[in-house]
Amino acid sequence: MAMWKDYSSGYIKNNRSSGMAVVVAAFISALLLSLLCGEFYNLWKYEIERIEREEGSWQSRITGELSEEAIAYIQNYASVREVTVNEKEADLYFLDRRDVLTDTPRIAEALGIAPEAVSYHYGLLAMYLIRSPQDTAPRLVFPLFIVITGLACISLIIIIHNSFAVSMNARIHQFGIFSSIGATPKQIRACLVQEAAVLCAAPVLAGDLLGIFMGWGLVQLTNVLLGSSVPGRHEAVFGYHPLVFLLTLSLTVVTIWISAWLPAARLSRLTPLEAIRNTGELQLKRRKNSPVLAFFSGVEGELAGNALKAQRKALRTATLSLVVSSLAFTLMQCFFTLSGISTRETYFERYQNVWDIMVTVRDAEVDSFEEAEEIRNLSGVASAVVYQKAMAKTILTEDQISEDMKAFGGFVHASGNDVVQTDSGWMVNAPVIIMDDVSFLAYCERIGATPSVTGAVIRNRIRDVTNPDFRHPEETSYLREQSAGEDATSILRQSGNEAVTAEIPVLAYTEEVPVLREEYATLDYYELVHFIPASLWREIRDQVGGCEGEMYIRILGKADAQPADLAALQDAAVQIVSAKYTAESENRVQEYESNRKMMQGMMAIFGGFCLLLAVIGIGNVFSNTLGFVRQRKREFARYMSVGMTLAEIRKMFCIEALVIAGRPILITVPMAVLAMWYMLKMSYLEVGIFLAEAPYIPIAVFLLAVLGTVALAYYLGWRNVRKINLAEALRDDTMM
Amino acid sequence: MNILTCEKVTKVYGSGENRVTALDGIDLTVDKGEFVAIVGASGSGKSTLLHILGSVDKPTSGTVTIDGTDLSRLNQTQAAIFRRRKVGLIYQFYNLIPTLTVRKNILMPLSLDKKKPNKEYLEKIAGSLGISDKFEALPNQLSGGQQQRVAIARSLIYRPALLLADEPTGNLDQKNSREIMDMLKLSNRNLEQTIVLITHDEKVALEADRIITIEDGRIQKDERREVKKLS
Repeated sequence: MAMWKDYSSGYIKNNRSSGMAVVVAAFISALLLSLLCGEFYNLWKYEIERIEREEGSWQSRITGELSEEAIAYIQNYASVREVTVNEKEADLYFLDRRDVLTDTPRIAEALGIAPEAVSYHYGLLAMYLIRSPQDTAPRLVFPLFIVITGLACISLIIIIHNSFAVSMNARIHQFGIFSSIGATPKQIRACLVQEAAVLCAAPVLAGDLLGIFMGWGLVQLTNVLLGSSVPGRHEAVFGYHPLVFLLTLSLTVVTIWISAWLPAARLSRLTPLEAIRNTGELQLKRRKNSPVLAFFSGVEGELAGNALKAQRKALRTATLSLVVSSLAFTLMQCFFTLSGISTRETYFERYQNVWDIMVTVRDAEVDSFEEAEEIRNLSGVASAVVYQKAMAKTILTEDQISEDMKAFGGFVHASGNDVVQTDSGWMVNAPVIIMDDVSFLAYCERIGATPSVTGAVIRNRIRDVTNPDFRHPEETSYLREQSAGEDATSILRQSGNEAVTAEIPVLAYTEEVPVLREEYATLDYYELVHFIPASLWREIRDQVGGCEGEMYIRILGKADAQPADLAALQDAAVQIVSAKYTAESENRVQEYESNRKMMQGMMAIFGGFCLLLAVIGIGNVFSNTLGFVRQRKREFARYMSVGMTLAEIRKMFCIEALVIAGRPILITVPMAVLAMWYMLKMSYLEVGIFLAEAPYIPIAVFLLAVLGTVALAYYLGWRNVRKINLAEALRDDTMM
Repeated sequence: MNILTCEKVTKVYGSGENRVTALDGIDLTVDKGEFVAIVGASGSGKSTLLHILGSVDKPTSGTVTIDGTDLSRLNQTQAAIFRRRKVGLIYQFYNLIPTLTVRKNILMPLSLDKKKPNKEYLEKIAGSLGISDKFEALPNQLSGGQQQRVAIARSLIYRPALLLADEPTGNLDQKNSREIMDMLKLSNRNLEQTIVLITHDEKVALEADRIITIEDGRIQKDERREVKKLS
């Protein structure tokens, strides 16, 4: 305490700038941990709300009819808070949840109820860390939190202990003097840790509070971005508990304490002689060369390179965090851009003239759906198709297969799940798309087939299965042209009971598919898609079966429709359908907007994390440069004493700053190029398309911001260094 | 021929009650090839004088001329370049650059001027100082005596007009002190190097052919001596 009173308090007051990196590191650690704990608490709270909404808040349940006496017994049981009785179930709620697993069997036993009739709400109980050996589900929320928090703490310790080390190592010489006059290692350690505690108290509190605020912001952002877009999601209400604050504070304090203690312990173990001899000056253990810097910048480049090598430990935090944050930011930007292009190309643009509104109708059948015309007649509708899907099988013989398909191996590449060889040929999947009659007839007209509601149109395309490029598949005819004809038929077989068949006339084999929100042969390349009218399905439904429970209504608005018009159309269509059915609807424009917002939100969150990581590194650079006068005074005095001018020292500074800020760029750019090359290769997206939309500006802004802040740090360091009085520096009695 | 002239050099630190006159009207001339020792007690002003002669510090009043250059007219950059080319400084604690090898330390003043070294001269200096085999070592891999030899080699590499040595043996044992003094004398005799050496050690001062005693910032005594020639 005496050392604190006599030395540390004064030191902190007079050397505020040297503790800046420690303050920044503590603040960011507190902020991250607070955000993490706050978000976990809210995730936990949300999950409980979700479980209670979806499954109820009961803790244990007794199934079977219960007499009034039995219910009264349960109600009066000491640990039971409440019992609610449904038709054949009694839901139990306990005063203390921990009694659920012990008292429910006792109650059941006392009432003579078989153990099989007792069930527990394991999902809900697990959220309160109440686990039963009978519950074998993994329940990963808490283990995941412990692992993530542990990893976060360890990562922070690795990153920020360097900031403490830099600040402490700069004073080894002073502590050597203390040690020589009798300060014990424990006193020195205590003094350093006390200093760290004083420096960190305010930033920790500020970081924790800001973390709570940011957590609140994140929950609001999630509500805005996902609120209505994700089916089944309920609005999250931000919550906070004093215990969470205590946990956050404890975690932050422990993390920072370990980070401070590690270098303090190392420093306190030095002998007085070692400490006094240590001038805190930059030294190299082995001979190092900086040939590149020396080649480009002469002796200043060599000195800068060697100084950076000597500062390697001190700048480790900066190097690590600047490289990782730049790389993460660049990759994130590129990845989201790529993903955006991909989603747009494969989803939004592909369906731009296909659908604006999709209504999914549950438990409906297309052949008995009567509202199709009413929907088609809504103002603003350009076209509307009602359709349903069924899964059947069909057998193809060698003679039916086209020469092109045979050329790439026929069914040789097919997996046993998709194609089965039978005595009479190859049995393949035959998805049946059942369209309302009006739409089917319009489709027939479009493709030039004779319009009829008694036959099917078969999609006659298959992709070259030997070419893995899913973005640019090469398609060819599946079946021989001569297979199509006026008397052509197709035999559909019931999936799972292939002996039951339905023979249907084939109106046409075609490359053109109806305008629906469907993709064909994406997973099973060999499927033979049949488009049939609802009237035909009515006749064959019993033989073919396999109809999905959901029916779809694809609506395309008029070309000039505005988002508001589409929203109104969506409401109108849902209103028509909802009179008889349960329906959900999607709006492509809204979906595009939600997707865009979600992407932006995710980029903002990830970008924020990258920024925080970069700030740790920048803090380290600042602490280093602001400590230059103290740490490198002798070095600069030496340069000056042999005739180095201030301009030459400034040049050396510029080189150092360029190397610190340039290294992340030099590492990031080739790695990002490599990663993107791989991602583009995997996604079969053309390089030109990506390059045209590549996020050059945000990446350049981020990297330039890093460069700018490092330059500012060095400028401030330089401003202090140029004030060094050479004569005074040379007079310094610690010059060795 | 005068290589160094000081006229009424005064240096005052602080003001008011804290005013300290470190140098008080110093008049001094040194001829080319002279070996001058400046002696005096601690706080007598000898180090201040050395800093002024080395263009590290400026006098409050008076003029210092070295090899025809008036130091008071030099700005910071000119002073640095002057130091690099005209003055060799040797310190008690060597002041080598710890991140550079011995070779690069020695060549530093030339490198700053982007000049190539004269290999023969470099080898001659290093050979006479006994550090030819240490060129690739780092300063912290050398003993104190070896580090001081490197410092001397660095100070001589530009063939400066004046070599200023501030207690060059103050941190060395007797044997190394003896050797360092012999080397300084050797460079004085063989290269006609003008040397101004600051010391509080009378034995060391006796090696010089002129001893100037400073007390309270003034020259108290200036005696020339006949020194035995080195073989």
